[in-house]
Amino acid sequence: MGNEEEDEVVAEVEAVEAVYATDCVLLRSFPPHFHISLKPRTADVSSQQFVEAVLEIRASPQYPKEPPSVDLVDCKGLDEQRQKHLLNHIQSKACELSPCLMLVSLCEEAVEKLSAMNHPDGDCPLCLFPLVPEDLQSETLPFMKLMSCFHCFHSECIIRWWQWLQSSKVDSANTDSTPALRNQDNHKKMEDSVGNCPVCRKPFLAKDLDHVLALVGSYSSQMSLDSDEVNDELLQSEDEIIRRQKFEAILNLQKENSGLIEPKKDIVILPGMYLPQPVAVPSSMLTKESDEQQEKDPSAVVSGNGGGTSNATGPSSSRQRNSGARRQKARSDKHSSSTVRNPRKPVQQWVRRDDPSNKK
Amino acid sequence: MTSSSGAARKNLSKIACNRLQKELVEWQVNPPTGFKHKVTDNLQRWVVEVTGASGTLYANETYQLQVDFPENYPMEAPQVIFLHPAPLHPHIYSNGHICLDILYDSWSPAMTVSSIGISILSMLSSSTTKQRPEDNDRYVKNCRNGRSPKETRWWFHDDKV
Repeated sequence: MGNEEEDEVVAEVEAVEAVYATDCVLLRSFPPHFHISLKPRTADVSSQQFVEAVLEIRASPQYPKEPPSVDLVDCKGLDEQRQKHLLNHIQSKACELSPCLMLVSLCEEAVEKLSAMNHPDGDCPLCLFPLVPEDLQSETLPFMKLMSCFHCFHSECIIRWWQWLQSSKVDSANTDSTPALRNQDNHKKMEDSVGNCPVCRKPFLAKDLDHVLALVGSYSSQMSLDSDEVNDELLQSEDEIIRRQKFEAILNLQKENSGLIEPKKDIVILPGMYLPQPVAVPSSMLTKESDEQQEKDPSAVVSGNGGGTSNATGPSSSRQRNSGARRQKARSDKHSSSTVRNPRKPVQQWVRRDDPSNKK
Repeated sequence: MTSSSGAARKNLSKIACNRLQKELVEWQVNPPTGFKHKVTDNLQRWVVEVTGASGTLYANETYQLQVDFPENYPMEAPQVIFLHPAPLHPHIYSNGHICLDILYDSWSPAMTVSSIGISILSMLSSSTTKQRPEDNDRYVKNCRNGRSPKETRWWFHDDKV
């Protein structure tokens, strides 16, 4: 081995160092042995970067007559199959280029390959639906990656998980403190807490999720399981059911009377027309409640009329009321389960309006 | 033995349903080796047959795992137990409860029925003795009221087996 050849190789290693600067960790100049950390060409926009690899290139004293060995030390965003693909490609390139000097070309080849592979792979680990659907017809949901490990998730999925985690943490930490305090705590925890990637358990900072939280922020509160549970509770509470039946009764009355709410006068009551009262509890409670409300709430007068006449209106309306209540219930059930995906105003209104009455 | 969790189980959420359907399809296309899903129309409770790997203490032995999914799966871990008779194993109680961290504290929503199955099979495969946990009798007695293993405070003694 002539000194000249050795000098050439050493000069090539210097060139690699010059090109890759801190991305290159030199372990030995001759025979060359170094780690090189490579990123796809994304013009340094880290949000556009989904893969990353650290290669170990180790040459023998016979280099470049003998191709160097190439190994993958570390990588992000590449599953086993893609890792193998990358490595095979670089290794065959090395064989192809031998006996020329090839260190820089190998690195560039790897960057090229990484750029071609720079897209999130496969399914969202949380919902198991593709991150980027293969068929262009289906809608692409926004996804995000964790900066620490490059694992990708649908934004909605990971936020849902994160909020679930936070709420269960808070629940176990202080079950008996007031809701306001809990909220504060929750917020504080959000700021300085650390999570673990669901896939690899690598820790990440809560602030990694900040931009996603901001992105979905407008509806994240409605999306959270927490509020969903609240809705559930509210929607199933006795008061709420009664309220719903009451409104349904008024609505039906309104429909029958084409918008005018007046007790029916023209109905003829025949023997045997009375059916078992379908909503027995509400009608008694309803009159009581509406009496209380009449003083402060003018609209409650209407509901009082609706409730009061329900006994006299006879079978046709009571039957309708019954089915109406059932229909309404079914609809609201659907609401409560779908708020996660499709938050709707009406649900929020139920909550807000009911709040003060709950505190009473 | 019917040890579904004591509390009345809520129906699966929409998200849980979608995810389970996806898992079921994936399972049908590509079932984990050594496992057979017994088809029922109940998405919320799977019964999975597992056969011990050859070359291990449980070779050719077949056991049944019952997997019950909570409303908020996969945020919450499913409840996984062996149906009677449970394999003799230092981490498996005679009532079918399994002492395995990923089923409780270390659950992650990125895990699936497949990955749980593989973990359990690997737990069986690495066992060197066929025996019950030391505190089997005490634990099983405590669970007589049909308590779910998810309500147990588990100590994960060792990771050798």
